[in-house]
Amino acid sequence: MAGEQQRPNWLRRYWPRLLFLLPLIAILSVPFYNRLEPTLGGVPFFYWYQLAWILLGAGVVLLVFTIEAKIARAPKSSSGDTTGIPGDIL
Amino acid sequence: MTLDLTATIVFGVLFLFVTWLGFIAARWRKADLNLLHEWGLGGRRFGTVVTWFLLGGDLYTAYTFIAVPALVFGKGAMGFFAVPYTILIYPILYIVFPRLWAIAHERGHVTAADYVRDRFGSRTLALAFALTGIVATMPYIALQLVGMEVVIGALGFPAGGLLGHLPLIIAFTILAAFTYTSGLRAPALIAVVKDMLIFITVFAAVVIIPAKLGGYGAIFASVPPEKLILAPPSGDNFGAYSAYATLALGSALALFLYPHAMTGILSSSSGNVIRRNAALLAAYSFILGLIALLGYMAIAAGVDKAPAYAAGFTQYGANFAVPALFLASFPSWFVGIAFAAIAIGALVPAAIMSIACANLFTRNLYKEFLHPNCSDADEARVAKIVSLVVKIGAVVFILAIPQAYAIQLQLLGGIWIIQLLPPILLGLYSRGFNALALLIGWVVGTAIGTTMAATQGFAASVYPLEILGVTIPGYAALYSVAINLLLAVLLSPLFDLVGRRTAAPSAR
Repeated sequence: MAGEQQRPNWLRRYWPRLLFLLPLIAILSVPFYNRLEPTLGGVPFFYWYQLAWILLGAGVVLLVFTIEAKIARAPKSSSGDTTGIPGDIL
Repeated sequence: MTLDLTATIVFGVLFLFVTWLGFIAARWRKADLNLLHEWGLGGRRFGTVVTWFLLGGDLYTAYTFIAVPALVFGKGAMGFFAVPYTILIYPILYIVFPRLWAIAHERGHVTAADYVRDRFGSRTLALAFALTGIVATMPYIALQLVGMEVVIGALGFPAGGLLGHLPLIIAFTILAAFTYTSGLRAPALIAVVKDMLIFITVFAAVVIIPAKLGGYGAIFASVPPEKLILAPPSGDNFGAYSAYATLALGSALALFLYPHAMTGILSSSSGNVIRRNAALLAAYSFILGLIALLGYMAIAAGVDKAPAYAAGFTQYGANFAVPALFLASFPSWFVGIAFAAIAIGALVPAAIMSIACANLFTRNLYKEFLHPNCSDADEARVAKIVSLVVKIGAVVFILAIPQAYAIQLQLLGGIWIIQLLPPILLGLYSRGFNALALLIGWVVGTAIGTTMAATQGFAASVYPLEILGVTIPGYAALYSVAINLLLAVLLSPLFDLVGRRTAAPSAR
């Protein structure tokens, strides 16, 4: 959609998405988390690390959504935000 | 095994309740169900909450609840790849699908094939999409039946023979009837009940069972140590490490390309609904992680060694691990609730999958090639009939063909469906790609992926790729789609250059 010359705009709007690299790196670093110690309440590291990243991953998505919504609202406060529509929630 | 009467009654009552829900769903958000986008997409009006239940019910199926812990039970740490996989799907959902939704909404697309037809102006590419979608989804529906069959067997119904299959046939007849009358509204409404039951079951399981077994420490201590983590790689072989990572990444990329996931996404009411769900659906991932651990609980409880469940394990293999664990740990009435949760968990995705296949057939085969001038009512009518045919096909499939084939086909389905990624992804940002190049990428990717699986005797989807003397075992779907993407990107400008542009882009 965005033309070549509009790239900086694109980056200004969507930079929060770079945060998605965090869960990706966390998951792909298998050698790092393929270990038993330290355990957490008897659960080996391999398991609680990945379970924890489910929550952290959701946190990252939520953060990106919040920041992007803010960026989208900033220049033109009247349009673009559809959060308030009731049909949007249920 | 003898029939567990209490559990069967609870199971039956819950099943009747969702049947009733399925039929009254036709009156929920009342609209003309003789229009395909009303019947097959719920009118694109589902908000964040309904979409959450619908996608959750869609992606975390009965088969998942049976097969993931069964894999952990049998193979240990490798089976846990389902967890990193569900972590990776949400960034993908967030980045790709709101945009796809916006295009589909504006242009009135009902299926992914509609979308590529419009983006690249190629009927052939759309046909490839429709066929891939239907072929990859059919075994998936059949596997939902497997999940249901295991719990029905665990209730104590006789296995095998017409009598043994009768409960399954009845359940699917009911499913077919309410899908026919209510369309996507039925699974959307039933998904809410199903999830309540699943959440209750899982929370009870992760609290009560560890308490009985002496805590999580004791559970993990009873698992053979070599199962607890992946085998470290040796020599010039990345071994389990690359297999684990690529299985997670490849499965995540493939997931939302499945027609049923696409249906769930397109039925939502806005892009923000999808974005919010990308964060909220993690709740299901967490539940799935806990469910995966049920495999270890089954090992700790030693259900596979208990004589009472020997027949079940002989009949259903590792898939019997979770039902056996529930039978051993819960009172009968709660077993009824837990098994109903799994069985209803099969109904929801099976309904959505059959609707998605029906949408594909109607839109991209029937209307495109057979009856271009059919009316809107005609279109919806054909879709309803096809949804019936698909379900009958799935039942026949599971009754007539050995279960191993369904599992192998589902495995191949993952490899086939991921080949749709390049056109969908590239189409989001540009419609300038050459349809022929995309088509060649699809053909080559599908062929290579299938060949890779064939070298493993269709028993595994991990292919030992050798590069410069180093072996990198990885998910065949990921390897083959990389070649697909590369071909599409490289050939596209080449074909444009030699003026072999096959089709002019449609309006705009």
